[in-house]
Amino acid sequence: MDMKSMNLLMRVGAAAAVLSLAACASPEKTPATAAVAVSHNAVDNAVTAGAPELAPEEITAARAKMMRANQALAAKDYKLARELAVQAQADAKLAQAKASSAKANAAADALNEDLRVLRQEVDRANSN
Amino acid sequence: MKVRAMTLKSAIFAGAVFLAGCSTVPTTTATLDQARADYVAASNNPQVASYAPLEFRQASEALDRANRAAADRESLDTIDRLAYVAKQRVATAQEVARAKAAEKEIADAGRQRDRMQLEARTAEAERARREAANANAQVAVAQQQAQDAQAQAAAAQQQAAQLAERSAHLEAILVELHAQKTDRGMVVTIGDVLFATDRAELTPNGVANVRKLAEVMMQNPDRTVLVEGFTDSTGSAAHNQDLSVRRAQAVAQALTSLGVPRERVAMRGYGEAFPVASNDNAANRQLNRRVEIVLSNEGAPIPPRAAMR
Repeated sequence: MDMKSMNLLMRVGAAAAVLSLAACASPEKTPATAAVAVSHNAVDNAVTAGAPELAPEEITAARAKMMRANQALAAKDYKLARELAVQAQADAKLAQAKASSAKANAAADALNEDLRVLRQEVDRANSN
Repeated sequence: MKVRAMTLKSAIFAGAVFLAGCSTVPTTTATLDQARADYVAASNNPQVASYAPLEFRQASEALDRANRAAADRESLDTIDRLAYVAKQRVATAQEVARAKAAEKEIADAGRQRDRMQLEARTAEAERARREAANANAQVAVAQQQAQDAQAQAAAAQQQAAQLAERSAHLEAILVELHAQKTDRGMVVTIGDVLFATDRAELTPNGVANVRKLAEVMMQNPDRTVLVEGFTDSTGSAAHNQDLSVRRAQAVAQALTSLGVPRERVAMRGYGEAFPVASNDNAANRQLNRRVEIVLSNEGAPIPPRAAMR
């Protein structure tokens, strides 16, 4: 095999690798690390919003996937790490939204109850 | 030619890698079905469109990726994974919409509370104003009552003063006439000297006395008089009876002629009965020749004379 044909073989191999990457968006290290960081942030936000009490199922799922994403990162399985990070982020965002809506609805209920009592008092005062 | 064969081999290898990455799969999974159903529900919820448009778009995109993966017959795991993310994002959009709706409710309730508090304060002020008006009215009534009471008291006082004045005046005249207080009333005696001797005509002094009495009568319309005539024991009883009647009549007529209504003037003659002194000397006999005028107590009848002594 001469140098020229060797060179050609290498180029074809490289092209195949690129093709393979293009077909399945095979992840690389940097985007996977970034995705895991974003998910970590989302989990933190959900916890701050009160998700452990108000959306325990979702936050538990998010944390479990985060853990597995970190393990995949350590094992250099970037594709799995990124997939798990994306799922963890979806779980965490749902957990945060659930916690926020639970709090807002509780506040609205309390306020409506206050309103009802106030209305009664006003009606009573007016009827005197 | 060798190179060409190797190139072909490389191409086949690349194709194999490609096929391994994207093996043939069914078009849907349970998770994808669920994600699609949830998505339909979310797009039918108007709150999602108005309160969570960004989250809904992200959910749409996630579902598109899952649908594309299914259309491309990618692996079940891949479809499930993408469908799961889509499902969670649809749920997130619903929850965000719910939260925003609740926040809007909170803002509305706050405004409603402010309005109601204003209403309550207005009602309170109105009630206070009404109560103040009522209190003022009550004060006015009380003041009027106090004024009335004062006026009544003044009137009563004035009346009392008039009565006192009248009674003082009466007292003075009665003192002047030497009236005597008895059980039957005040008794004024018109002595013998005020009549012509053995006759029934009053002397000018007698008339003056009767005039004073008439004045008393006019000022005291609730009193009546009884005019009683008496003589001494000289002469016949018939004559004495007659003289006593005539003298009493003379006084009664004098009173009525001075304006005292006739029905308030009664008269009687007793002759020589009821002497006030013994008839054994001239001075005493003169005392017995007399006319007594009994002035009734106010509004009361004059009791009859007790049985003869």
